[in-house]
Amino acid sequence: MIRVNGKPHPWREGITVAVLLEDLEGAHHYAVVRINDKHISKPHFEKTPIPDDSDVFLLPMIAGG
Amino acid sequence: MTKFKVKPIKTIDYDKPAIEKGYAGQTLCIDVSIAAIFIKPVTDKIKTVFTGGKGFDLWLLWHAVSGTTKWNDPENAICIASGPMGGTPIYPGSGKSIVTTISPLTGSVIDSNVGGYFGPYLKFSGFDAIEVKGKASTDVVIFIDGINAKVQLLEAVGLPEESYDLSAILTEYFGQGKPRNISVVSTGPGAKNTLIGCLNFTWYDLKRKRARYKQAGRGGIGTVLADKRIKAIVARWDTITIDTNHPADVAALKEVGRRHSREIVELDPKQNQMATIGTTHLVTIMNDFDLLPVNNFQYGRHPEAANIGQEVYGRIFDAGFDGCWMGCSVACSHGVKDFVPITGPYKGSKVFVDGPEYETIAGCGSNLGIFDPHTIIEMNFYCDTYGLDTISVGTSMAFAMECFEMSLINKTHTGGIDLSFGNRLAALEMLHQMATGEGFGRTVGQGVRKMKSIFSKDYGADPDILHDIGMEAKGLEFSEYMTKESLAQQGGYGLALKGPQHDEAWLIFLDMVHNFMPTFEQKAEALHWFPMFRTWFGLCGLCKLPWNDIVPEDNKNTPEPAKVMKHVQWYAEYFSAVTGRQTTPDDLIRMSEAVYNFQRIFNLKMGFGRREHDTIPYRAVGPVKAVEYESRRERYDKQLVEQHKVDIEGKSTAEKIALLRQFREGLYEKLKDAVYKRRGWTPNGIPTVATVKRLGIDFQEVLELLKAHGVEE
Repeated sequence: MIRVNGKPHPWREGITVAVLLEDLEGAHHYAVVRINDKHISKPHFEKTPIPDDSDVFLLPMIAGG
Repeated sequence: MTKFKVKPIKTIDYDKPAIEKGYAGQTLCIDVSIAAIFIKPVTDKIKTVFTGGKGFDLWLLWHAVSGTTKWNDPENAICIASGPMGGTPIYPGSGKSIVTTISPLTGSVIDSNVGGYFGPYLKFSGFDAIEVKGKASTDVVIFIDGINAKVQLLEAVGLPEESYDLSAILTEYFGQGKPRNISVVSTGPGAKNTLIGCLNFTWYDLKRKRARYKQAGRGGIGTVLADKRIKAIVARWDTITIDTNHPADVAALKEVGRRHSREIVELDPKQNQMATIGTTHLVTIMNDFDLLPVNNFQYGRHPEAANIGQEVYGRIFDAGFDGCWMGCSVACSHGVKDFVPITGPYKGSKVFVDGPEYETIAGCGSNLGIFDPHTIIEMNFYCDTYGLDTISVGTSMAFAMECFEMSLINKTHTGGIDLSFGNRLAALEMLHQMATGEGFGRTVGQGVRKMKSIFSKDYGADPDILHDIGMEAKGLEFSEYMTKESLAQQGGYGLALKGPQHDEAWLIFLDMVHNFMPTFEQKAEALHWFPMFRTWFGLCGLCKLPWNDIVPEDNKNTPEPAKVMKHVQWYAEYFSAVTGRQTTPDDLIRMSEAVYNFQRIFNLKMGFGRREHDTIPYRAVGPVKAVEYESRRERYDKQLVEQHKVDIEGKSTAEKIALLRQFREGLYEKLKDAVYKRRGWTPNGIPTVATVKRLGIDFQEVLELLKAHGVEE
């Protein structure tokens, strides 16, 4: 099990950030997520696996400046 | 303890006005040339048209200077204001001051938005703004004592040069056992030996028992303060509650303030974690999207970027509350405790460093090819204590380094220093030279525009290449984002009133990553709405971070998520609750439009403010050198073929660079046309008579100025 923005979400072997966002409704526009304390950006979504028991946060569009 | 003396030159006692719905209703003017202190009323019309903050500053500055005033003329004024909501303890980000003056870098109006307690203390002492002009014949300190309703101009002897020491001494001296009652505005020795001096504003950190810093960094305002021989401006005030600002509707204010504050406390840990890592989270994200400036904005990515990212600084920062305003739940002003510099006058001593934030990390780190977090902290510390703007230091030094690597300058010019990218000791040495005004550091401290002139005229460097790689516009150094792949952000920088600073419009992600604005009209709309709304924070004494750095969880489902309209609505409620003026989100934009257009016309008064002044260097638009093109060849080749229908077969890199440049520069000019039209300006970038009339800024002087530039009804 992982938690996405605090809500439980089933974990499965090999799940990547890209796969997770496909699972979630309306999450296609996220460009950055945080897995525990590590920021992952869109260019790395497909190759970044999510470990079991992780806290995943979908970061809103980056505000900058 | 440093021995120093202060002696009153002039003292006035005044009747402290009751703060009414966020306004004191008067401003303070001090002429240090003649030791004059006087008070001016704020009329209802000025409140209605200019709102407060930067609006009041600009109005005061407009009347202080003429179109021929130079930055170091006595009549140039430094104006500092809070705003009607400034000093509200319950609402996050409500302690900002905004500073304006005629800039030594641009020759026109500069504005800089800064945290710390000064603005609210000034207002509660009885003044919506302070205007300081003249030039003192000795070092002076200005003391605004709101507790005893007294303003003093003091001669100062023996005060230290370095800003941290100066602030600590003045906080203790004027605080009389209550240091939290004091906020100090000062600069350091670098300010008088360069054109890129900053102002340090203090807030007292009760837990760490020390005066902490925020900076009004941009445009050399510290240099103007030093030129006036003003060592510091000190404000003193007592306890602040929600009632101190005498808001029109306390219950409504409490409700909206608690709502916003609670949301930040709940969501910040899930989102950007501003309260623990501040803006450092941007470093690796910018790097991932090819937006982190590396080696003078040549590249947007570097394999060592993680060394200077949030995971590293998160471990280095001293844990604890870091709000630069009382009770602010964003609390992003982090610092480093017991840092030991390896160079300079503080070598081997333990010091506290306020920062670094993203801009400093990118400017004094990646853009110099430096990926050592401790060097960046040391650069941060010395910039602050010398009174230097970390952004202009970084961008200026990056330019000098690239010129050195391109052999446009050499060791005979740099005093034997190897200014190669990544040479951290050379970067620190340059910084120390800026502070003392010695060696090549003195040249670098003049900023990019002056360096371009010196390198071409005195050292024989090619002016065209200097123009292409010198990252300044309007005379101000670029802040630290890559814009090559975002036309909207090229406009965000190039069309910004004061020069290329990101506080007007930060559209890179919306444009490049999310593709929210594919057409020129959409880009123009964004380059209208975002600068206007961001301007509004500076009118009111507010920080923009609570608006869009932490957003509601349902924001993504709203029609315009980039605008975070739920928060815009809260800000309208906040303004209504404080001032009693019932306000909608559209009203906020209109308030800003008046001030924004007035500032554009102020640029015109100073000899700028036309289309030609919105030019940006080609490095901001596309690849200048073959090595830049080749590093992203696939991207550029694809654009030439798919977007511009060019047959690139057999074309050399130089030919492709020239073609891409032609297309991209054309797009930027087209963007200017669309934005000017949306803003109600002429094709030459001047507000029309209809625009100034609509906004109520059709003052006689304004209309005459427009007429002199061929703009009539």
